[in-house]
Amino acid sequence: MSNSPIDLFVGLSAVLTGVDSSKLAPLLDPVDIKQTYFNFVQGKEPIAFTQLLGIFQQNQGQDPATIANIIFNQSGAAIKYLARSIILMWYLGSWYEPATLQKYNSPNPPPPPVPSAGVISADAYTQGWAWNVAQAHPMGYSNFTFGAWSEDPPTLADFVGGNGGQS
Amino acid sequence: MSSGMNQPKLSSYDVVIVGAGVSCAMIAKQLGLAGKKVLILEAGAAIPPNNVDFMQRFYTTVAKVPESPYTPDLFNPPGSSTLTDPSTLNAGRPTVLTLSQKTWQNPNLSYLTQDGPLAFGSTYERIAGGTMRHWLGTSLRFVPNDFCVDRQYHQEVDWPISYDDLSSWYGKAEHEIGVSADIGEQEYLGVTFPPGYSYPMPKIPMSLVDQAVSSAVDGMQFFGIPVNVTSTPAGRNSQPYQNRRVCAGNTNCIPICPIQAKYDPSVTLNQALDTGNVEILSQTVANEVVIDANGRVSQINYIQYKGQSGPKTGSGSISGKVYVIASNAIETPRLLLLSDNQGRLKNGVANSSLLVGKNLMDHPLYLAWALMPKPVFGYRGPLSTSGIENLRDGAFRSQHAPFRIEIGNEGWNFPIGDPDTTTVDFINGLNLSGLNTAGSGGSPQALSGQALVNALNDKLTRQFRLGFLVEQSPETSNCVSLSSQTDHLGLRRPSIKYDLSPYTKAGMAAAKQTADAIFDKLKAVQFTAPADPTDPSTFMVDINGKPTRLKFFGSGHIVGTYRMGTTKENSVVNREQRSWDHPNLFLVGSGVFPTVATANPTLTIAALALWAADTILRKDLSS
Repeated sequence: MSNSPIDLFVGLSAVLTGVDSSKLAPLLDPVDIKQTYFNFVQGKEPIAFTQLLGIFQQNQGQDPATIANIIFNQSGAAIKYLARSIILMWYLGSWYEPATLQKYNSPNPPPPPVPSAGVISADAYTQGWAWNVAQAHPMGYSNFTFGAWSEDPPTLADFVGGNGGQS
Repeated sequence: MSSGMNQPKLSSYDVVIVGAGVSCAMIAKQLGLAGKKVLILEAGAAIPPNNVDFMQRFYTTVAKVPESPYTPDLFNPPGSSTLTDPSTLNAGRPTVLTLSQKTWQNPNLSYLTQDGPLAFGSTYERIAGGTMRHWLGTSLRFVPNDFCVDRQYHQEVDWPISYDDLSSWYGKAEHEIGVSADIGEQEYLGVTFPPGYSYPMPKIPMSLVDQAVSSAVDGMQFFGIPVNVTSTPAGRNSQPYQNRRVCAGNTNCIPICPIQAKYDPSVTLNQALDTGNVEILSQTVANEVVIDANGRVSQINYIQYKGQSGPKTGSGSISGKVYVIASNAIETPRLLLLSDNQGRLKNGVANSSLLVGKNLMDHPLYLAWALMPKPVFGYRGPLSTSGIENLRDGAFRSQHAPFRIEIGNEGWNFPIGDPDTTTVDFINGLNLSGLNTAGSGGSPQALSGQALVNALNDKLTRQFRLGFLVEQSPETSNCVSLSSQTDHLGLRRPSIKYDLSPYTKAGMAAAKQTADAIFDKLKAVQFTAPADPTDPSTFMVDINGKPTRLKFFGSGHIVGTYRMGTTKENSVVNREQRSWDHPNLFLVGSGVFPTVATANPTLTIAALALWAADTILRKDLSS
């Protein structure tokens, strides 16, 4: 297993998102959204991001549930909410500040909706995983063909890889 | 653009048209093909060479509202969260973001100034192609009784034309737009087609959502009428048509089809320009219709500008034999009311009836959403492919407003902005969607990994929504007038008064009861949010003796403000859409509708525009 920062980021992202790393970072990857995201988070939260990658590196031999438990329950609020920001980034292509997520998770949250700090890029939107997890496609970016909507979509595993969310 | 200088090439034209939307496109193409010289004045941006900028703007904006791909920019600076001040815009327009509780009555945020009591909920575009840039594609004909509601049900007002008068123009419009539909499915409630007629393309296939609703709902009865699900006629390609591709199901008809499989008026505008007889001046705002001593329009004055908030670059006037105002049912009355001709016409142009700006209507939309018991795989296909049309007419119309039911294919995107809201819920342990209740004691969970994938898949694939487009009755008190607020050119902006009549509210109540019954039959769990009493788009209505608050949305169907009728006292234009006051002035678009009925208005707008073009050619320019 490579310990290059980008490979650690992809491995971490697979654990956090539930999407197989072969889908997050396919062999042929002209869009290379992983690098866009890596650079973006590095620019936004350099210290916590380095810590988070370090935590993953130390624990990457463990099963995903154990890693998630360490990140979300044993590493402090900065790591926990940065990890949530990273999941949302992969799912929606938008950046939700960790501090914002923490504020909305408090007993007295600000009024809804939870504000996003912006769409990271056009590619980030079109690579969003929320739609794939729904066995669909980002609105305004379909690789399906005429009439596909009248039939069952491909299986969840076809979209997210691995066992298709089944543990 | 035909003129690099953005100046008229000729000193006078056969026809001058204000506003480059669908009505203009239909008329300009017919006139251009007939060799007539046409000048179009468009307030907003020109037709771009492709939609790359539109798509880029859509993809990168957080608020993917219907206006998001288009100009002027919703936010200033772009990418910020500060709404653009409409007084800084040369050609502003309402947007969904300026209709919220926080913005609707703030003139520094909202282009429209609104006096209530309810908030008018619809928007439009000011750009070449018009509001149809962001239309859904629904291309229903009106049903025959829509034209004679007074005669049949003693409600509202009759049109001066009948379904039979309009039928052949509907057919022509369906071919200009390129409508996909099945003729057998469209023969209901008295709608007929001439022998041998066929739609240009076969119908769009029903989605799995439609099929699920159909299997449970077909045969149910409401107000004594059995209902069934039918595929909706759509201005969207089911086969290659007019050099455009077939629909790939991008689920993005509103705000923009990325592959132009959905028709928009730039298609016809470009065909008009290709005749060599039509010119468009963009960023050219008509500010006065000038009337001569004989009561005829003698010229239209305009202002030109550069950049959405840039300086005036000039002004001018242009004359023609015939003038067509084709802005929309808010901007057309605004221009007529602005045109006081140095005080000679204190009520503005074409307004001896005092009905210009009156009878503003929309389809107040009742939105209801639920989870199906099994996956129906929304977020795929066109935004809507089917509906329930049986309740658009019937004896109940003497008691309450009718409606059509639109079945959505976009999950809960319209109701709660999903998939974003539910995704944030399950990742950050919130429950704004109502769906995140599987924690201890019904508390929300914060998930990651495979549990997150499974939870989101389970919820998102079962979401669906129904939209009920309710007919709003015409009321002279619902009106467009001139605001004291101005735009960047110093022109007074539109001001709106808006309310719903008891007849309309009773139709909304019937819609809610129908939704509840459909969800029960489907064994779907309803999540429709209760109406917020502080929301200006809500009202109280009695349902089975119980006072109930309902919320309505705008449908973007802005109608009625210069209606056609039988006399110069009861209407602004005659059945030809010609001003009673000024014989060389035509007012076209949905403002001529005496009633809004229940069909989405575009096809009827296009049909009436083609009819007006024919009248202009036969009667006004025949020599």
